[in-house]
Amino acid sequence: MKKISDLKINDTAIVKKIVALEPVKGRLQSMGLVKGAKVKVLEHTLAKQTWDIISGNTKIALREEEARGVLIDRINENA
Amino acid sequence: MLKTIKVAIVGQPNVGKSSLINAISNAKLHVGNFSGVTVEKKEVFLKTDLYDIDMTDLPGIYSLNAYTPEEQVAKNFLINEDFDIILNVVDANTLSRNLIFSLQLMDMHKKMILVVNMVDEIESKGGKIDKDALESLLGIPVILTSAKEHKGVDEISTQIIKLKKEDKKANKIYYDERVEQRIEKLAKTLQKSPHFRDDDYARFIAIRLLDRDEQVYKIIHDLPIFIEVHSMLEKMYKNLELEFDEDSTTDILSNERAAIAYNLQMEALNLKDEDEGMSEKIDNILIHPILGLPIFLFFMWALFQLTFELGNIPMNFIGEMFTQTQNFLADFLPKGMFNSLLTDGVLPAVGAVVMFLPNILILFFGLNLLEQTGYMSRAAYLMDGFMKRFGLQGKAFVPLVSGFGCTVPAYMAARTLKNPKDRIITMLVLGFMSCGARLPIYVLIIAAFFANHNPGNVLFAIYIGGAILGLIVAKILRTVLFKGEPEPFVMEMPPYRFPSSKALFMDLWIKTKMFLKKAGTFIAFASMIVWFLSAYPKNDMITQNFQTKIEQAKSSKAKAALKNELNAKLLENSYLGSVGKFIEPVFAPLGFDWRMSVSVVAGLAAKEVVVSTMGTLYAVGGESGASKGLISKIRENVDFKAAVALLLIIMIYSPCLAAMSTFYAEIPQWAWRVFYTIYPNVVAWIFAYSAYKIL
Ligand SMILES: Nc1nc2c(ncn2[C@@H]2O[C@H](COP(=O)(O)OP(=O)(O)O)[C@@H](O)[C@H]2O)c(=O)[nH]1
Repeated sequence: MKKISDLKINDTAIVKKIVALEPVKGRLQSMGLVKGAKVKVLEHTLAKQTWDIISGNTKIALREEEARGVLIDRINENA
Repeated sequence: MLKTIKVAIVGQPNVGKSSLINAISNAKLHVGNFSGVTVEKKEVFLKTDLYDIDMTDLPGIYSLNAYTPEEQVAKNFLINEDFDIILNVVDANTLSRNLIFSLQLMDMHKKMILVVNMVDEIESKGGKIDKDALESLLGIPVILTSAKEHKGVDEISTQIIKLKKEDKKANKIYYDERVEQRIEKLAKTLQKSPHFRDDDYARFIAIRLLDRDEQVYKIIHDLPIFIEVHSMLEKMYKNLELEFDEDSTTDILSNERAAIAYNLQMEALNLKDEDEGMSEKIDNILIHPILGLPIFLFFMWALFQLTFELGNIPMNFIGEMFTQTQNFLADFLPKGMFNSLLTDGVLPAVGAVVMFLPNILILFFGLNLLEQTGYMSRAAYLMDGFMKRFGLQGKAFVPLVSGFGCTVPAYMAARTLKNPKDRIITMLVLGFMSCGARLPIYVLIIAAFFANHNPGNVLFAIYIGGAILGLIVAKILRTVLFKGEPEPFVMEMPPYRFPSSKALFMDLWIKTKMFLKKAGTFIAFASMIVWFLSAYPKNDMITQNFQTKIEQAKSSKAKAALKNELNAKLLENSYLGSVGKFIEPVFAPLGFDWRMSVSVVAGLAAKEVVVSTMGTLYAVGGESGASKGLISKIRENVDFKAAVALLLIIMIYSPCLAAMSTFYAEIPQWAWRVFYTIYPNVVAWIFAYSAYKIL
């Protein structure tokens, strides 16, 4: 399955599953990254080490390691 | 005797809780600490005709699956303390996410009020929150507020009193039938124990156990029913996870809550999907993959330039004012011990410190501005990739930058780092970020020795140098002391907001007050001690000796020279001279004379004391002047190499007593405390010695 870290800037996707250990998982969920939530990639740093995504009006910064733990279905092609 | 209503104010971070509390009319705010920990505790007291309302503001908390130590404090309060009403503040902009947490709170089945804040932002986007829909769906009173526009805020106390009188609890949240069955069964079993007789409490504990809440698990661990509950739980986990095809029951409950919250938002929030918001547009530039970092560095550079250049203007004025006052009092008051104590001891010292108030305020103002606008978290995002290389994480950037303001709050800011290893490394190198109180010393030395170079650049280099050293030390600590991956990095980036000038100036006012208080009490007191040590014991022999010589001297120039020599002799034979002589061997290899040595050691009490001590030591007997006079005195008495060594010592060695005690309070392990107390001083000495030898 695809992960957030596979997306490009401006891609949108639906969260399928969070694969992470607690407490990271709980933190991601409490920020709104739950099954079925829509996410969009806003930015990532040059080396793709840090990602900036938005889900339901909440902007979240996360590292590539955590971005790999958010499994998604992409719903649009990058324009 | 009025009845007291106890209210717990709970909400996720950045929902505007502090702004809301500041906006409540006629309230008395009390700031303290939660017992046993150094987490700030704000209490708001409100008197009404019938009741005293006592509200406790809990630290921002994302969910009951607590993550940071501060969240832990909030959770402990909710679970263990006795209170009447939960006041749950949520942000209208992120309603559904906030409601997920509200649903967890409703599991407690206590009296609860939902405060939906920031409705002004929804309205300005042409949206609307349906208060009645929320009230009927949740079964609790809902208040729409805007702390910014002061709307709805005073409804809070009315609603609290109304709810206190009523006997109405929040609706129960009903989960999926399969989950409900388990909750009920578990609650029944729990009720066999006298701890959980209460229906609501038993249900709450049952839900927390199904949510795999380790803290609640520990509560039942020591009870006789543990074995029964434990085996029942194991079976339930397994079956539910099979039935729902999920990895953990936590996910099941979290999905359930998210679905309910999403539906609530659909019912209650009327807002068309928006286009790219303002924040995204700003972020397109400020966290641009290529432009982001240079812009950030520019902001930092500009801040330090402002601190120096702008701060210099009132500085001369304040210095002049103190000199004038001193001269006036020296003539006006009768000669004697008190006169000398005041005009040679206290005033020069306090003046030398107060002069730097403008610099410090500008720096704090800048840091607050970054924090309030939401830029600080962008800085953390930008810096994470870089910080990771030094074994730190982006979030550590915020305490590290705060360290440029004051090390004490910076140590506390390090609490947002959940992983103890990340936290201790960050705290161990925090002292290398030069705090505002060291600024006066730098300014003094720069003015004395680098006035011809761009002073702003020299200052910038000092700060950057400290930061780089800190990063290198962090890397070394990480590789030598801890191996292993740094803490995961997941951080909310709040939308850009125009800072509230009230909050900005309120904070500056508090800082000014605290600084002046410190200057007026602690520093005045310390300078009295320094003055006493430098003026006693009286040595009449030397004085008489010189007095005759001075009288015999021909020119006034020779007289002045002799006078200076007398003062130096007197100082050398004072108590302070003996202390200085005693520690001189330590600092002698750095080219320090005893006066510098004493000043540096005094700086361990508070960095402000370094300049004031120098003020006393170098100014005694001379034309008693504050720092302007001090600058030329330093230039005459200290050679360039020793001045550089002094700069390095100040940059690197231990922070002040207040900071050190904060560190001790935060870090309970003795091994770390000892290490922390010794190593920066050793590093500082080595650097200073090398510089002195090489130059
Ligand atoms: N537009 C708007 N901004 C608000 C409101 N309440 C707070 N803010 C802003 O939101 C930011 C976070 O507020 P703060 O009180 O620090 O949040 P806390 O973390 O919950 O204490 C600040 O920049 C406030 O100025 C509000 O009702 N409307």
